[in-house]
Amino acid sequence: MIKLLARLLHVLNSETAPGQISLGVCLAMVAGLTPLLSLHNLFILLLVCVLRANLSAFLLGLALFTGFAYLLDPLFHHIGLALLTAPPLESFWTSRYQSVWWRLERFNNSIVMGSVVFSAVMFVPFLLVLNLLIRRYREYVLLWVQRTKVMQLIKASKLYRAYSSLSAWRHG
Amino acid sequence: MGKWIRWWGLGVFVVVLGLMVAVWVLCVDRWIKELIEDVGTKAVGAKVELDAAKVTLVPAGLALTRLQVTDPKAPMTNAVEVARIRMGLDSLNLLGRKVIIEEMIVDGVRLGTPRTVSGAVVPTPPPRPEIEPSPRLTIPLPSVEVPDVKKILAEEDLETIRLIDSLNDDMTREREAWEKRLKELPGKEQVTGYRERIDAITKARKGGLEGVLGGVGEAQALKQDIEREIDSLRQARTEFENTLSLLRTRLKEVQTAPPRDIQRLQTKYNLSPQGLANVSQALLGPEIGNWVRTGTEWYERLKPFLVRARAAGAERTKADVQQPLRGKGVDVVFQEVDPLPDFLARTAKVSVSLEMGDLAGTIQNMTGDQPTLGKPMTFRFSGDRLTGVKSVSLDGTMNHVVPEDPKTLLDLQARGYILDHVSVSRDDRWPLVLKTGLGDVNMQVELKGRDLIASGAADLKNLQLSAGQPDDANRLTLALSSAVRDISQLSIQAHVKGTPEQYVVRVSSDLDRLVQDAVGKIVSDLAATFGADLQNALSKKIAEPMRQLQSRLSGLESISGELTNRLGRHADILKSLADKHLPAKGLKDLPGGLKLPF
Repeated sequence: MIKLLARLLHVLNSETAPGQISLGVCLAMVAGLTPLLSLHNLFILLLVCVLRANLSAFLLGLALFTGFAYLLDPLFHHIGLALLTAPPLESFWTSRYQSVWWRLERFNNSIVMGSVVFSAVMFVPFLLVLNLLIRRYREYVLLWVQRTKVMQLIKASKLYRAYSSLSAWRHG
Repeated sequence: MGKWIRWWGLGVFVVVLGLMVAVWVLCVDRWIKELIEDVGTKAVGAKVELDAAKVTLVPAGLALTRLQVTDPKAPMTNAVEVARIRMGLDSLNLLGRKVIIEEMIVDGVRLGTPRTVSGAVVPTPPPRPEIEPSPRLTIPLPSVEVPDVKKILAEEDLETIRLIDSLNDDMTREREAWEKRLKELPGKEQVTGYRERIDAITKARKGGLEGVLGGVGEAQALKQDIEREIDSLRQARTEFENTLSLLRTRLKEVQTAPPRDIQRLQTKYNLSPQGLANVSQALLGPEIGNWVRTGTEWYERLKPFLVRARAAGAERTKADVQQPLRGKGVDVVFQEVDPLPDFLARTAKVSVSLEMGDLAGTIQNMTGDQPTLGKPMTFRFSGDRLTGVKSVSLDGTMNHVVPEDPKTLLDLQARGYILDHVSVSRDDRWPLVLKTGLGDVNMQVELKGRDLIASGAADLKNLQLSAGQPDDANRLTLALSSAVRDISQLSIQAHVKGTPEQYVVRVSSDLDRLVQDAVGKIVSDLAATFGADLQNALSKKIAEPMRQLQSRLSGLESISGELTNRLGRHADILKSLADKHLPAKGLKDLPGGLKLPF
């Protein structure tokens, strides 16, 4: 837990651009909320690797959103089923159903459809809100956090020092 | 651009992807093996084991080595063991989660092979206690001993005696009832009373005109009384005659009862050749019934695989929401342009190794979703120059294209089946064995819905039969043995009709007529002797009761005479009254020759 918290604080307190952190978290949201072994998650992995999304933020977000996904499955099921059985969309889904790649994506599963649509819709707003929050955090909260006893303890820990030295080595 | 792209990440992605593919390639064989074993074990209810599975990517294919399917009823035996299965898969459809096999080669199928370890997945129930073998394959032989008729008549419940006793009781009851009624009916006393009243009228007439007029009224009243009593007597006589007629009919019925008793006793003591009318049914019916039962058991085992995907195969004219699974969502199935089942083996070439030799066959359109494919599963197996049979062929169609109207057809042909010491009757009194011979067998089975119709014919030739015991001294079985020993060819027909659970087997053959002819005369002679003895004894036994019945009936007939006498007396007194005191036509002529003035 401390390890995760240290990672989070380290990322937030680092010089990393807020956009990279929020992109990492938002990509983690898509990968975490949707079934992991889905075709589209290969594409997410490609984006995570190629774009300068923050990897720590991605991994932390993935763990967090995978946990949320189990709670949100009923919501995803309802959204997905409503979309898949909506009469105006039936011909569209039927034409997609003829394609092997769409079948491989399992788009016709209510939870896959619901979670993909949910995370896609939430992606941009979440990215913008997260960006704003990180900026606000660094502007107003960072100094206060660094003075708290908890942060002092974390900073004094060997693990944080290790992270710091690793970070310095990576950026240096 | 460089701020947002890290090109080395592409390398990382390729490495990660490569690692994933490597893991898949390394593990897929084991995954497939475990999947087949797990799914198979659950479906069969006993262990399904596979020595190895090998997946090839280019071209897509799968090879399975030594598949063992345990017989759930005998866990130390494999119901089926297959040495090798090779199949080519349609890779494009495989990506769409459909297993489409263009050709499957199934080599070395063997049935009932022994296992080294038990294949039970649940504790095997304790073995059932041995059941005494039923006396099947026995012939309903008639007895050749004439039974003791006196003993039979003493012990048997005879219809004749029952009817006599019943009629006797009813006659006694009727006699008592009518004797009581006779006392209530008008008789001599009433006639005497009327005579006195007539005399009184006669005296009154001599007292002048007033007496004459008063006498006419009294005479009219008397006439009405007499006529009322005559009516009651007539009614009583009619009722009595009906009763008497009924009793006479019952007496005739009693007289016809002895032949019925004799016939029933002859049949009961097996002295009728009727029991031998269908020897084939008695000998072969149970055996054919067992074959039908085994066949229907196999069909019921196969059926779940034929109708497994029935829901998925339902007409997909609209989006079809399938059964939801908790946490996994539901799959919405849409109409496909060129629909294919989730599993389809278009052609499977199978070679089966049996004790008699190898059979080769082809199965077409093997799928659990025939409605989607629109074609039934067909199969054809054949073998030549096998051990014990010249040729065998089995053709069949299992049609579940319309799930509500399934139809299964089977056609089995066997030519030159060598008969070698086939036991036909295991009856201790008269064993019958087909020592040698050749047989041609045809069988057609049709199962439409739950209606089962099967018919078969067997032509046996070059027969050598062994019948009876060597030290047999029984006239009947000796005659039977002599009759069948010369048989060199035989024709047997069987028909099965009903449902897979409840069916009727009818078997007929030349044997029926031969056996009936051979023993018919012996049994008929014995039956005639037994019948004559029975008739004599029964006649003696019922002679006295019958005489008593006749006597009672005669006694009852005397009541009829009494009623007639009473009616006669009443008629006489009425006539006397009319002659003396009643005018013949109205009141114009008064009694005594007096004339009215107007």
